[in-house]
Amino acid sequence: MAEITPEEIGLTDFALREHRSLWYDAWRRMISSNTARLGMFIVAVFALSTVYAHYFWTYDPKTDLDYSLKLKAPNLAPTEEIDSAHLFGTDKLGRDIFRRVVHGGWNSLRVGFVAVGISLSIGGLLGLLAGFFESMPLSSREHILLHSLIGAIFSLLSAWIANQYFQVVLLAGLGSVAAVYNRFMAGKSARVLLFSLAGAVLSGASALLVSPYVSLVCAVLGAIVGAILSLPLGGQFLSSTIMRAMDIILSFPGYLLAIAIVAFLGPGLEKGMIAIGVVGIPVYARLARSVVLSVMQKEYILAAVSVGEGHGRILFRHVVPNILSPIIVQTTMGLASAILSAAALGFLGLGAIPPEPEWGAMLGDSYRYLTSGAWWAVVFPGVAIMLSVLGFNLLGDGLRDALDPKLRI
Amino acid sequence: MTRYLIRRLISVLPTLIGVTFVIFMFQRLIPGDPAVAMLGEHATEENVARIREQFGLNHPLLLDRDALKEGDWAAFFDSQYLRYLGRLIRFDLGNSIHRRIPVTETLFLRFPATVELALLSMLIAVMVGVPVGITSAARRNSVLDSVSMIGSLIGVSMPIFWLGLMEIMLFAVFLQWLPSGGRLSTGVEVKAITNLILVDSLLTGNIEGFVDALKHIAMPTIALATIPMAIIARMTRSSMLDVLQEDYIRTAHAKGLAEQLVLFRHALKNALLPVVTIIGLQTGILMAGAVLTETIFSWPGIGKWVYDAILGRDYPIVQGGTLLIAIIFVAFNLLVDLSYAYLDPRIHYD
Repeated sequence: MAEITPEEIGLTDFALREHRSLWYDAWRRMISSNTARLGMFIVAVFALSTVYAHYFWTYDPKTDLDYSLKLKAPNLAPTEEIDSAHLFGTDKLGRDIFRRVVHGGWNSLRVGFVAVGISLSIGGLLGLLAGFFESMPLSSREHILLHSLIGAIFSLLSAWIANQYFQVVLLAGLGSVAAVYNRFMAGKSARVLLFSLAGAVLSGASALLVSPYVSLVCAVLGAIVGAILSLPLGGQFLSSTIMRAMDIILSFPGYLLAIAIVAFLGPGLEKGMIAIGVVGIPVYARLARSVVLSVMQKEYILAAVSVGEGHGRILFRHVVPNILSPIIVQTTMGLASAILSAAALGFLGLGAIPPEPEWGAMLGDSYRYLTSGAWWAVVFPGVAIMLSVLGFNLLGDGLRDALDPKLRI
Repeated sequence: MTRYLIRRLISVLPTLIGVTFVIFMFQRLIPGDPAVAMLGEHATEENVARIREQFGLNHPLLLDRDALKEGDWAAFFDSQYLRYLGRLIRFDLGNSIHRRIPVTETLFLRFPATVELALLSMLIAVMVGVPVGITSAARRNSVLDSVSMIGSLIGVSMPIFWLGLMEIMLFAVFLQWLPSGGRLSTGVEVKAITNLILVDSLLTGNIEGFVDALKHIAMPTIALATIPMAIIARMTRSSMLDVLQEDYIRTAHAKGLAEQLVLFRHALKNALLPVVTIIGLQTGILMAGAVLTETIFSWPGIGKWVYDAILGRDYPIVQGGTLLIAIIFVAFNLLVDLSYAYLDPRIHYD
């Protein structure tokens, strides 16, 4: 009997198929989509032109000034009146707008990248921890760490009132004791009573050194901290604390919070980056948590737990690689909105310090001249903002379709 | 349902207390002494001390730990933050430092302007966004679908302050059809009832005032509606596409029901839930005041008011305005959650 190969009957064995990685597959899907290609093209044009301009096309905003060329309309070739070509016209100080738009890209895009970096690293980490420990029981070492941390943070108030910061150490110690003896009289009110008494004695006795009144207040506060420590607090507590903190940031509209942060830190490009970065933290924290929660339900996590892998290893070997797709998509879209926010701050005069070129600040500088007909000073920086944001949004859309066709955020 | 409502309201409390604390601490940590800011840099020590006394700025921020040492309980709790909380409970937001009038008074004038702009923008965003989303989903991959989806992506990417400037350039400067800012022209008066000028002018039968107010609100409304419109259209489309793949849609088609009936009766009803969520959240954002739109169009809403106050270090306005904004925000999120129960009978709260 002749042997029949799979090829002969038109069947391809899955094991015989050429191996392709997830990322290669995603890349192929992406370059086959028109919108993603357009997005990549726009982003590449902006990235290359700004980087080229920054390193090879010298521009000193401090000396760029020529009142004789003030607010001239765009001209493509030198004329009798103006001896140089200004593709986008000139602004109120006679500066070439084309040059400033290209150089402004460096600042605008930089703000976007740094701000997203801040939100992603802080928010992503918080969301990762919240999601992971919400569905994973704490190990005994993590229990000790969490309880000492709770003891330390909650004792800050009484430590401040008594002006004795060693109380923080005392109650952190009480926390670790509570974590080590977490089975001791578990679930009984006697346990709560015992630990609140211990907390009251620790805080109250040390505060006696200051004054009896202070001691009284500290004893009450210490008792409350002790009672909290006696409870079986676990990952759920950690997660809900993190998410409540995120809710507080989310209770303020983004722009207003960013403006307030810049008002607090003082204007400047770097301050703007921090402000936009802080505002973005909850977005990444929420996303990371929800994706981690769904990953934690998967069988491979159960398998990793049952073969006894440590939490750190599970987190970084199994969880992190599997949440990357939605995070990458959100980061790309986040870049778009960070560039928009940076431009908004610049427009309000809270971003780049003049004469440094930045798209939003250029708009803010020139929009008063709109009524006198100088449309070019407003149109071109705005088009630059819109196109770059559109580029990142298109890229994000394409990435989303390529990385996970079912995903919708 | 009632129990769920109560539980949700209680769960909002820690967030709100956190919000008051953040608002309070933030303003106090901003560099610059408010008393000096009020009096100018050449104020005498004596005057600064008097103002600090008058506004309670000489009290400690949180608690007076030095007073406690002496056993002075009243002084221990007599701090700026607790005073602030106490006043909040009595709806007293204090007086503006610069203008010396109660914050609540200005709030009642300013907030309706924001509400009027936000609601009108949302109305337009929904009236355009939802039908566009439905048609795109029904005619998937058609030219119409591509055009509206590219349009909505451009809408999402639009810097709205720039869009506002372009509107001013076109309609106010070149064509001169519309005024470039404000709520009413000088000389036009509308009797205030609700402070929503469009409503007030209709109630009093003031057609001239209504038309004038409409002309003023047109451009900021379009600028503000752009982003929500684009988001709603995208959300409606993707939600409709999900639902249109369901088995019961195929069944409905198989029964021979008219396309319109399937689309609106069977698909739309089930696709609305995420759309309503987005509409609610976006309304919350718009209600919170649009700093940029209000700045460009000199619209006297709360966004611009708080922004000016931040720059001018007028703490009571910043605190009062931000608190109101945060409460509205939180309230809209809560409303969205509660609306699920009505829209989706499968969801039960107990």
